Amino acid sequence: MSAVALLEVRDLRTQIRLKRSTVHALGGVDLTVDVGETLGVVGESGCGKTMTAMSIMRLLPNGGSIVGGSVSLDGRELTNLSEDEMAEVRGNEIGMIFQDPMSSLNPTMTIGLQIAESVLLHRKATKREALERAVDTLKLVGMPSAAQRAKNYPHQLSGGMRQRAMIAMALACEPKLLIADEPTTALDVTVQKQILQVINDLKDRLGMAVILVTHDLGVIAGSADRIAVMYAGKVVETTDTKTLFANSRHPYTEALFEALPEKAAESGDRLYSIPGLPPDLTDPPTACRFAPRCRYAQDRCRGEEPPLTGETQLHRFACFFPTGSVERAVGGEVVAVEQDAVDHDLGAKIEVEVRTDEGPALRVVNLVKDFPITAGAVLRRKVGAVSAVADVSFEIYPGETFGLVGESGCGKSTIGRLLVGLERASSGSVRFGDRELAGQSDRRLRPYRRDIQLMFQDSYASLDPRMRVKTILAEPLNVQRVGDRAARAARVRELVDAVGLSQSALERYPHEFSGGQRQRIGFARALALNPKMIVADEPVSALDVSIQSQVLNLMKELQRDLGLTYLFISHDLSVVRYLSDRIGVMYLGKLVEVGPAESVYSKPVHHYTRGLLDAVPVADPSVEQEKESKGVTGELPSAIDPPSGCRFRTRCPAAQSLCAEQEPPLVPFGPDDHFAACHFPLREASAGE
Amino acid sequence: MSVVSSLGAQDPVPDLTPTPSAAGDVAGRQRSMARRMAEVFFENKLGVLGLGILVVLVLFCFLGPMFYHTDQIHTNIDSTTLTPGSPGYPLGTDQEGYDELGRLMVAGQSSLEVGIAAGLIASVVGTLYGAVSGYFGGWIDALLMRILDAAYSLPSIFVLLYLAATVGRSKFTLIMVIGLTLWLLLPRLVRGETLTLKTREYVQAVRVMGGGTNRIIYRHILPNAIGTIVVSVTFIIADAIFALSTLSFIGLGLESPQIDWGGMLNSGTSYVFDGYWWLVYPPGIAIILVIIAFNFIGDALRDAFETRLQKR
Amino acid sequence: MIAYIIRRLIQGVIVLFAVTIITFILQKLLPGDPAIDLLGAKANRVQIEQIDHLMGLDRPFWVQYWKWLDNLLHGNLGYSYKREQTVNSLLAVAMPRTLVLVGESTIIAVLLAIPMGIVQAVKRNTWFDYIATGVSFTLYATPVFFLGLVTLLIFSDDLNWFAPTAPSADGIAPYLTDWNAMFLPVITLALPSVASYSRYVRSSVLDQITQDYVRTAVAKGAKQRRVLYRHVLRNALMPMITLLGYALPALFGGALITEVVFNMPGLGLLYINSAEQDDYATMLGLTVLITIATILGSLIADLGYAAADPRVRLTDS
Repeated sequence: MSAVALLEVRDLRTQIRLKRSTVHALGGVDLTVDVGETLGVVGESGCGKTMTAMSIMRLLPNGGSIVGGSVSLDGRELTNLSEDEMAEVRGNEIGMIFQDPMSSLNPTMTIGLQIAESVLLHRKATKREALERAVDTLKLVGMPSAAQRAKNYPHQLSGGMRQRAMIAMALACEPKLLIADEPTTALDVTVQKQILQVINDLKDRLGMAVILVTHDLGVIAGSADRIAVMYAGKVVETTDTKTLFANSRHPYTEALFEALPEKAAESGDRLYSIPGLPPDLTDPPTACRFAPRCRYAQDRCRGEEPPLTGETQLHRFACFFPTGSVERAVGGEVVAVEQDAVDHDLGAKIEVEVRTDEGPALRVVNLVKDFPITAGAVLRRKVGAVSAVADVSFEIYPGETFGLVGESGCGKSTIGRLLVGLERASSGSVRFGDRELAGQSDRRLRPYRRDIQLMFQDSYASLDPRMRVKTILAEPLNVQRVGDRAARAARVRELVDAVGLSQSALERYPHEFSGGQRQRIGFARALALNPKMIVADEPVSALDVSIQSQVLNLMKELQRDLGLTYLFISHDLSVVRYLSDRIGVMYLGKLVEVGPAESVYSKPVHHYTRGLLDAVPVADPSVEQEKESKGVTGELPSAIDPPSGCRFRTRCPAAQSLCAEQEPPLVPFGPDDHFAACHFPLREASAGE
Repeated sequence: MSVVSSLGAQDPVPDLTPTPSAAGDVAGRQRSMARRMAEVFFENKLGVLGLGILVVLVLFCFLGPMFYHTDQIHTNIDSTTLTPGSPGYPLGTDQEGYDELGRLMVAGQSSLEVGIAAGLIASVVGTLYGAVSGYFGGWIDALLMRILDAAYSLPSIFVLLYLAATVGRSKFTLIMVIGLTLWLLLPRLVRGETLTLKTREYVQAVRVMGGGTNRIIYRHILPNAIGTIVVSVTFIIADAIFALSTLSFIGLGLESPQIDWGGMLNSGTSYVFDGYWWLVYPPGIAIILVIIAFNFIGDALRDAFETRLQKR
Repeated sequence: MIAYIIRRLIQGVIVLFAVTIITFILQKLLPGDPAIDLLGAKANRVQIEQIDHLMGLDRPFWVQYWKWLDNLLHGNLGYSYKREQTVNSLLAVAMPRTLVLVGESTIIAVLLAIPMGIVQAVKRNTWFDYIATGVSFTLYATPVFFLGLVTLLIFSDDLNWFAPTAPSADGIAPYLTDWNAMFLPVITLALPSVASYSRYVRSSVLDQITQDYVRTAVAKGAKQRRVLYRHVLRNALMPMITLLGYALPALFGGALITEVVFNMPGLGLLYINSAEQDDYATMLGLTVLITIATILGSLIADLGYAAADPRVRLTDS
């Protein structure tokens, strides 16, 4: 480890002045980054991680300013530079990439020019030389057909390619430090892995340092050398990755880990959910900021602010009563002295029963949905179709949670919408109990709507902003004419209770609630008609980990109490694994593998499943290190003109000519109802008993 | 102000989550949506100013004549083109002997009446047209939009003049004619709103629970689109007043003895050449004031309807 | 992009078609009878019927429409019985003058509005912005005729800087050269446009400034001037192409009023005179002409925008 850090941030304080109040976004942040290392800055929304990155670059929004502390790069203080001087640092000594590559690139300039601009700004070069350098940089980041791509505009590239272009832009002048603000959050999991690898490779090749800002603990586990955990505008814990995951000391870090679904996936235990919400930073607390929500808090915590310190300089945390084991520095590394196994009793595990003897609750057979593409000025002719769902069949048993996973465009959301009647199937059958649902008109479906309901992803958009909660919850009852007025009012009160909100919530409007609370309202609405089955379409994807756990616990509890059946749609494999009994994996409209959750996870059969599992970041550094494969390479083919035969063959390491000619059928791989569709699977097929 | 500080990241909407203490409780005072919108409206100083101007003008035009009697029907050859300040005529008289101040009041009545009536009619027609087009989509939408495109291409003043010349110029006909040329402004807007709202998830949620088209339109789409519609109505009324004054200026507006502010400027050019400035400024300024007032009100209303989505 | 062009052209044709139908219906609203116009009020019924037959007025609706449309397609905009001239000949004299008026005022409006709008955006919420906004609002709320009268009063009558009326000579030369006489009309027509265009530029630039790609440009080390001129401006001004194309109807309307105030014998004054004389044929012909010009204008604007915006140019969706 080098003696002088490349970047030193000391007691950084940043404020944002609003119309009527001031947000103290950063209340004294301390960080260091060395050459050649990746510092991961992790935390939930509002913790200040992005604000820290922006403060280092002095890219603060309107009304924002650094009011204290220091940021020094290679010994040079950045906070008191003039705007022009800072402009010479940006893009030159520090490069930055942002979360959403589509909006972060100028839509009317070719990417070659945008990258060349970096060079032209900081180096004496002609336009031609700059463009050449741009192409070189694109090759460096692994952009296929770099010279051609340089002439493209952003909208002509895929998400992964756009992010590569952004990285190229940030690195064109070979900066000493790269700041990456949530660089992969907007990308599919498989692309995410590719991009993180690019960043890692370039770090080594160019001898840079990297600050990786993210909310995803799995990403950090795999890509960061050192980590800083932030909460409410301050760093609460910082050390090297291995130590953090093995021996976290700050109660917040511990709580975060216990809220992760992947920790409890195998045991099925309850997830920990941190009560309350982060403090209001317009009036920041003077004592420990986490104290109001901390399960170990004592009087001292509520009166004094704990400093960022530790037994050794290698692992520092801001807590008077830290958890975990005391440590000692041994030969430049941190070693835990005692094993402190604190087992928190989070309450009884929620046991849910799957009722297999009753026969399947839902049977989907050969379901197909094509979306026509029309063209023509006057008479719209059909010129093609997007094959969103291509002959999918599966069953769901009463009381079970069936998880449907896949990346964007795989068709899982479409299936959800088909089941609740928001889309009409092109062909195929959906049998719910003894009734056929597919292809029915809205009017015919009406009475059956009581039995299958939908929970939406975006809680904000799924609740009418002009209706009070009590009206929102009563609406399904009104539509289906359940009971009389008094009965409906009583039911509404019951529902609010069931999801853990107080009765006063009934009089409020959706925008007065937080994201997690809105999801509960959406859940309550879905429960109003006492459905037998609920389709949950990415219900927790937009929530922070600690809030996510609340909703997941609630879903499990109510499933046990009411005997619900769930179809859980998500791209987040760890959440799906935690909640599901059985899992189906989808790719480009096809169901490629289906089986019991554990089996699919530990013994995947299909190459895509394997690639997906490898690509998903796991919050465990040793697991991340051990991952062998590169995830899934290549780009997603078009759904309008999908590959012949097996749709995954264009990206499959085991593809052969048979895969292009014949579509593989779903065959069993074991006695436990595990099926997969592959000609050359990862393990041998065996007929079920 | 440095450009760079206004460049870069957006004006922040900080994640100021409301102050509930426990996961289930929600603090904060209960206020109805209407009250909240009114609060935002009144915070907008320009909106309040606009409202004030409008109120003053309405009072001036409708209550004024009750206190300040003038004869606006019969001409008076003896006291033509008197300058302001002449005894009994605070704003002077015009070429036909009418008292200017009184004329201003009476003319205002017509300007406001016709403007508001025509504006409202145009708004209702335009809203329905746009809503039907947007909601039903398909060929209905395509057809209605093409017709709209065609109507849009016609230069409105020309059509207005044509209709006024051919159909007639009673107050009622003028209201209809002006309304007919102004309805074009709303359909596209309403259609856009309808299309956006149709795909909103809370509308889909209603379908999932078994709700039908009627419920969706009346309980979800219209209430959420009403903000845009109301704001546009104020601007359309301003346009209607504008249109009437132009018609009357040219001489194809209200027929005497009815008069409106535009009509008071009918002989405007000759007033200018003869230097009768007191006959030119008052009606023009009145028109400007009322249109500014409606514009301010419209802007403030727009803000009031937006903030329903923001946290306190 | 080709697909877009074709689609847009077809759309344009359909709209043109619909417009002819609408105009034809307007024509049928006319009171009176062209035959009487021709023969005088004392004509007897037989004569009227004869003329009607000659002019084809006793044929069914769609036949008349077809004939009218046919005429139109051959460039024949009708015949003014009142003036005993073809509408085309009347237009040929008046149109160039109006085109000069409209053209010059649009150029001036754009040249003034763009810098004004940019400065307002960059210096938003400063006193400059507030004053400019106030002025814009007021101009926007001022009827063109009043603006004309006021400028006449102040600049011509009181200050005597410019002539009070526009040129009325034959030919086009005076309209291009006699600045003294053309100044007030052009300014009167330009000012309201300056007001609304500058507001548009202001909000368009502000819109772009808050976009993420601007943040990226700054993160690369670009200084504010460069960001403004090489990134923001292009994206902010591109939609103006469409704005200008669709502004034609309003512009002609404004020109009409301006010509009345300043007594300029262009299309507008022609129209008014025709209205006063009950010369409906001319009124209709003029309306059709302007409408066609508008449709063409918006078509060119849309195509121009498609050519400028790479997102439209390079995808076909």
